[in-house]
Amino acid sequence: MKTILLLEDLPEIRAWLRKLVLQIFPGATISESSRIGDALELVAAVKFDLALIDLGLPDGSGVDVVTKLRDIQPDAQSVVVTIHDDDEHLFPALQAGAFGYILKEQPREMIAEQLQRISQGEPPLSPSIARRVMQYFSAKAKPAPNNAPGIPNVSLTDRESEVLLRVAKGYTLPEIGVQLGLSRHTIADYVKQIYRKLNVSSRAEAALEAQRLGLFR
Amino acid sequence: MHDFRFRLACARSLLGCCAWVLLAALGTLGLCAPAWAAELPTIQLRSALAAPGGEGRFPTDVRPFEVKLPDRWADTRPGFDGSLWYRVAFGLPPGTAGPLGRGELLAVSIERVCTTYELHLNGQLLHRAGRMTEPLAYHCNQPQLVTLPAALLRDGVNVIDVRVAGQRVNELASESSAGGLSALLVGPQPVLAAVHARQQLGLVTLPQAMAATLVLMGGFMFVLGFVNRRDSHLAYFGALSIGWALLDVRLWLRGLPLGHTVVEFLLCSLLGFIAWAAVQFLLRYAGIRLSWVDRALPTQAAVMPATLVLAGGGQMHAMATLWYAVLTLEVAAAAWFYLHWSARSASGGRRSRGLMAVLMAVVAVAGLTRLIDPWSVERWTVTLAVSLLTPLVLVIVGMRLVQQQGRALNVAQQDKKELEDRVREATAEVESKMRQLAELRVEQVTERERKRIAADLHDDLGAKLLTIVHTSESDRISTLAREALEEMRLSVRGLTGKAVRLADALGDWRAEVVSRLAQAGIESEWEAPEDLPQRLSARAYVQTTRILREATSNIIKHSGATHCAVNARIAEGDFALVIQDNGDGIGPDVEGRLDRGHGLASMKNRAKQLQGQCLVESGPGYGTVIRLTLPLDRAAEGS
Repeated sequence: MKTILLLEDLPEIRAWLRKLVLQIFPGATISESSRIGDALELVAAVKFDLALIDLGLPDGSGVDVVTKLRDIQPDAQSVVVTIHDDDEHLFPALQAGAFGYILKEQPREMIAEQLQRISQGEPPLSPSIARRVMQYFSAKAKPAPNNAPGIPNVSLTDRESEVLLRVAKGYTLPEIGVQLGLSRHTIADYVKQIYRKLNVSSRAEAALEAQRLGLFR
Repeated sequence: MHDFRFRLACARSLLGCCAWVLLAALGTLGLCAPAWAAELPTIQLRSALAAPGGEGRFPTDVRPFEVKLPDRWADTRPGFDGSLWYRVAFGLPPGTAGPLGRGELLAVSIERVCTTYELHLNGQLLHRAGRMTEPLAYHCNQPQLVTLPAALLRDGVNVIDVRVAGQRVNELASESSAGGLSALLVGPQPVLAAVHARQQLGLVTLPQAMAATLVLMGGFMFVLGFVNRRDSHLAYFGALSIGWALLDVRLWLRGLPLGHTVVEFLLCSLLGFIAWAAVQFLLRYAGIRLSWVDRALPTQAAVMPATLVLAGGGQMHAMATLWYAVLTLEVAAAAWFYLHWSARSASGGRRSRGLMAVLMAVVAVAGLTRLIDPWSVERWTVTLAVSLLTPLVLVIVGMRLVQQQGRALNVAQQDKKELEDRVREATAEVESKMRQLAELRVEQVTERERKRIAADLHDDLGAKLLTIVHTSESDRISTLAREALEEMRLSVRGLTGKAVRLADALGDWRAEVVSRLAQAGIESEWEAPEDLPQRLSARAYVQTTRILREATSNIIKHSGATHCAVNARIAEGDFALVIQDNGDGIGPDVEGRLDRGHGLASMKNRAKQLQGQCLVESGPGYGTVIRLTLPLDRAAEGS
C-alpha cells in the first residue's frame, strides 16, 4: 500500500496521472497538490513512498520539493515528470536527488512501463544526461582547494564510468549488460549508484557553498 | 649606436687636433735653449745695484747694494713692501748710437717682473706697466719688451733703471705673486721681439686660450648637470672647470681696482670652492652621495675665507699654505676613493678607469709643478706644461663625460621606445579582450532572449498540446499532438541550442533509433566511428534528428522490415548517413499516400536546407536505402 504525492499544475494532466497511478499501484493513497507551497507542507506532514513531481510550476521549480523530500524522507522515491527533455532541466532535478524522470507526452503505456521500471529500481538514463553526469564528475575530480573535512568527495568507480561512457555513446542498457557481461539488474544498480553519488556530491557542494556564504555574511 | 660612434670620432679628432697644435706650439717655441743669430750680441745682465726708493729717479740718499738677477724677494727680502730700484749698465761700441750710428733698434726684454714696474733709460722714463701704488697693477705673468729709442742711447755706457713695486710675502696667498725681477736681456729689437713673442705665447696666450675653453666647457657642463639632477657630477665638473679658469683671471684683468690683499683673499677663497667642486665631482662620478660630505664641503668653503679674514692680512700666506695642504689632501682622498671604487665595480670598464687614473696623475703632476719656482730659467716650459696640461686634462675629461652622456641618452631613448612598444602591446591586448567581452555579452543577451522564448513556448503551447495528448479520445489526435509537442521541443532546441559535437549527436541518435526499433521488434545494427571531433550547429542537429525520426517511423510503420542497418561516416569532409532496411520498399504509388509522400519530401527538403542531400533508393523486394549527405563545414556554422 503506497502513499503517493502528485504535484502537477494542469488539472487535466493531474487527473490523468491519478488514473494512471491507480492503475499501476491499486489501492494507493494519493495526495495531490498544484502549488509548491502546498507540496512542501505535505512533505513535512505525510510520509510518502513515491512522489511524482512536475518541474514547471507557477510558483517555482519542483526541484525544491525534490530537495526537501530528500532531506526529510530519504527513503521516498521522487520521480520528475516533465515536458522538458533537455539536461538543462533534468540535471538539477537529478542533482537534488530525483530517482528518475519521465517525459510527460509519451503514450500511457510507455509512461506506465517507465514508472513500473523506476519503482522496481531501474531509473532511466539518456545519453545527454550521461554526458552531463560525466562532465560533472570529471570537474569534481580536480582537487578542490578548500575541501573541508567531513564533506565527502565522491567520485565514480571505473565500472560506473564505463557504464556512463557507453550510455553516452548511445548503447541501451540491455546492450551494455551484454557488452560488460553483467545482468540488466546490475547495470540498473550502477545507474542508481551514479544518481545517488550525484545527489550526495551536489548536496555537499551546496552545503559548502552555504557555509562559505554564511562565513561571509 | 651610430650617435655614440660619431661622438667618439669627434672626440678623437679633436684630441688629435689639440695634440698637433701643441706639437706645433712647442716646435715653434723650441724645447732647448734658443740660439739666435745676431749682428749685435745680446747681453744678459745678471747683476744690478738695488736701492729702495719712491718715485722719480734712482735714489741717491740710500746706499745701493749689489744683487744678483733674478732677484726673488721671497728669498732676499720677504718682509719688504714698496718699490725697489734696480740699476744696470751696458756699453755700446762707438758709432752704434746717435744719428750717425748703425741705426740698429735696441730693446730690453724682461722675462718676469713682479708685481709691476717702470723703466728708465739714462734717466728718462720709458715705460710704466701700470699703477705703481696701491692697488698695484698685476704683471707677474707678463713677459716685458721695451724698445730703447735710438735718440736716448749713447755711445759707451748706458744706464737702465727699473723700479719694481711688490708686496710683503706674508700678505700674499702664494709665492707666485711675490715681488722680484728676472735677468735683463738687452739686444737687437727684432731678436728680442722673437724671444718675447715665444714667451708671450707660452706664458700668456695659450693659458688664456685654455682658460677660455675651460670657461665655455665648464659653463656647458654646469648647465647640463644643473638641468638633470641625476647628472649632478656634470654640474660639479662644470664648476671645477670654471673655477680653475677663474684662478688665472689676472691674465686678463691686470688693473683691478681692488687692493692686493682683497684679490689674494678672493683667489684663495676660490680654491675652497674649487676643492668642493672637485671632491663632489669625483664622488658623484663614482655614484656616491654622502650627506656629511654634502654638508661639510660648503661649510669648509665658507669657513676658509673667514679664517683668512680672521688671520688678518699679515698671516695670509701662512693660512693659505695650510689650506692648500688640506684641500690637496681632500682632493687626493676623493681621487683615491674614486679609483678604489671603480677598481671594485665592473661598470665603466677597465679602459675608463685607466683613462681617469692617467688624467688624475697628470693633474697631480701639474699641481705639483705649480709649486716650482716661477723664477727659474726653464720656467716658461714648465709653466707652459702646467697651463696646458691641466686644462687639457679637464677638456679630455669633459669630452669623456659628454660621450657618456650621449651613450646614456641613447640607452634612455631605447628604453623609452621599448616601453612605448610594450605599452602599445598591452593596449592592443586590452582592446582585443574588451572586444571579446562585448561579443560575449551580445551572445549572452541573445541566449537569454531565446531561453525566454523557449520557456514561453513550453509553458503555453506545450501545456495545451499535452492536455490534448492525454485527454483526447482519438488516438490519432493524441499521436498528432504528441508529435507536435516533440516538434516544438526540437524547434526550441534548434533555436536555443549551442553547437553539438558530432560524437554526442551520434550517441543521442543511436539511443533513440535502436530503442524505438527494438520496441517495434526490429533488429538493428549501428555502425559509426567513435569520437568524431567535428561539430554540428543546433539547427543541423535538429533537422537531422527529424530526418532520422521520420525514417525510423517509416520503417516501423510501413516497411514491414525485420532488420535495419545504419551506417555513419565522414567522407571527403561530408557527413554521410546510410539507413538500410530489408522491408517491402517504397512502391510506385507513393504519391497517393499523402503522409508517406509528405514524409519523404520533407526529408529531402530538410537536407536541402542544410546544403546537403537525401537520396532514397527503393524497390519492392529490395528494401529501402536512405542516403543522407551533409557538408560539415557549413553544418557546423551557426544557425
